[in-house]
Amino acid sequence: MTTKQKMSQQSNRRKNWLHDLPFQTVLIFFGIVTFFPLVLVVITSLKNNTQFYQNFWLPTLPFQFENYEVAFSRIWRYILNSIIYSSSTIFLVGALSSVTGYVFARFKFPFKSVLFLGFITLVMVPSVLTLAPRFIMVRDFGLVNTPFALIIAWVSSGLVLSTWLMRSYFESLPQELFDAAYVDGASDWQVFYFVSLPLARPMVATVAMTTLIATWNDLIWPLVTITDRSTMPLAQGLMQFSSSFETEWGPLFAGYVISSIPLLLVFVVAMRQFISGLTSGAVKA
Amino acid sequence: MKNSQRSFVQRVWDAKWLYIAIIIPLSLLIIFEWIPALSALFNSLYIWNGGKVHIYVGLENYENLLSDRTFRVAMQNLIFFIVFRVIMQTIFPFLAAEMIVNLRSQRWANWWKIIFVFPMVVPLILNYLIWRFIYNPQVGLLNQTLELIGLGDMAQAWLAEPSTAMIALSFVRFPWLPTLQFLIILGGLQSIPKEVHESSQIDGAGFWRRLFFIDIPMTRRQITLAMILTMIFMTQRFDLFLVMTDGGPGYSTMVPALQLYQSAFNFLEFGYASAIGVVLFVAMLGLTILNLRVSAGAVD
Repeated sequence: MTTKQKMSQQSNRRKNWLHDLPFQTVLIFFGIVTFFPLVLVVITSLKNNTQFYQNFWLPTLPFQFENYEVAFSRIWRYILNSIIYSSSTIFLVGALSSVTGYVFARFKFPFKSVLFLGFITLVMVPSVLTLAPRFIMVRDFGLVNTPFALIIAWVSSGLVLSTWLMRSYFESLPQELFDAAYVDGASDWQVFYFVSLPLARPMVATVAMTTLIATWNDLIWPLVTITDRSTMPLAQGLMQFSSSFETEWGPLFAGYVISSIPLLLVFVVAMRQFISGLTSGAVKA
Repeated sequence: MKNSQRSFVQRVWDAKWLYIAIIIPLSLLIIFEWIPALSALFNSLYIWNGGKVHIYVGLENYENLLSDRTFRVAMQNLIFFIVFRVIMQTIFPFLAAEMIVNLRSQRWANWWKIIFVFPMVVPLILNYLIWRFIYNPQVGLLNQTLELIGLGDMAQAWLAEPSTAMIALSFVRFPWLPTLQFLIILGGLQSIPKEVHESSQIDGAGFWRRLFFIDIPMTRRQITLAMILTMIFMTQRFDLFLVMTDGGPGYSTMVPALQLYQSAFNFLEFGYASAIGVVLFVAMLGLTILNLRVSAGAVD
């Protein structure tokens, strides 16, 4: 590369940088406003109350790491519960919706369209409408204060959109693929499990992510069905946790930081699925 | 062809494994979705305490709703809240997305997308709890900031004053870059073909002309979808109100969905709660149908 080319490349870079400057400025403003409260929470989580009242804005030494110990001992149970509930829900929604979506996509049978309507019409039913009667149902089954109250309800509401997503995905696969598998002598189940399901992995990931976000953040349904502290999921536990620390800001905020770690890990490991999972939630609010 | 010659019963029998494969999801949906939904419609015609008291009253619950002052205030609050949030939650994500697609540095464009999705890792409820701290009258971030910049006189108990509570709630999670709406609009902007922008540049169109004559018109569908989604979310979600003010002080931050929740679970008026649910359902039905139509084309 000649010196001239190098120089022009350099000046190009500077030109791009100058071009981007006003846009970057606006974005940085948005970034600061969005993240400032979160950063303040992290800073405060390392202070005791004296440090907090002396200096509101800046980190002060020494860092109070024991805040995290105190907070962890009171919040780990909720986090563990949520991990168990959410992963069971994700597993069940994934398994049931892929089978059901496949059946609706690849087979013809009597009552098919009526049955599918029974699934799809529910997209239009908002959760506030079913909230109270569904509670009565769960209460009469004797499920109140058990994890099943949460998991069963979450699985059934998750199935509505997931079945639809899976069906459209399986419908979009080319017929030749299935023909080839059947010619090789595969059974229906083998074609589903060994051919179709592996191809549907991106869609399964999307369903998993949508279900994760929905269950992780649901507060209302647990509030209605769970009163026993040791059974509460994280969203509800955080309410308990925050009222038990009223004005001890350090441990309170340490707990807030800890409770954000599980999804943070998911985000780091599976960012692409995380982002695409969000957009497909647009179909059902 | 073989199928058409077989009798109906035979065809059902042949499909037995298919029915068995879908029987679990189907029964779950019937028990936990269909029956509750129909029960809400049915019980909105009754006075019902969730137990033995179950008296048919016809349309009385709906008539009571019409004259219920709390419900009227709740509806007004909801409309105010929705209008405010729809405007803000469309303008700000659009602005951020527009800035991102204008960047020449592809690397930074990717980073900004990740940065603005990142807050999703914080549990939703935590955002509300953090905003409760921001509005805290003694040590809250808002009052501290006002003091820092010399406006200490303006500091107040934001959530405890009927005059400021609703405004304060409308500002929760400022600057409103809701991930979903942001990603939808960003996707729309990114799918505008490069040639369109290049030829407009040759014609001498600057940033503003590009914004008003290309970017906004070409992302109409995505913008509409983002607005409808905000409306749907805001109509049925009430955890924000429940966590931050529980409808108070007085009824100054009451919304219909929260009133439904309180009627059912605080006052055991399941019939009345169902009637509120039906009203919300009807109000949302149009929005949802619209959403299904628009989103069919607007998401990837």
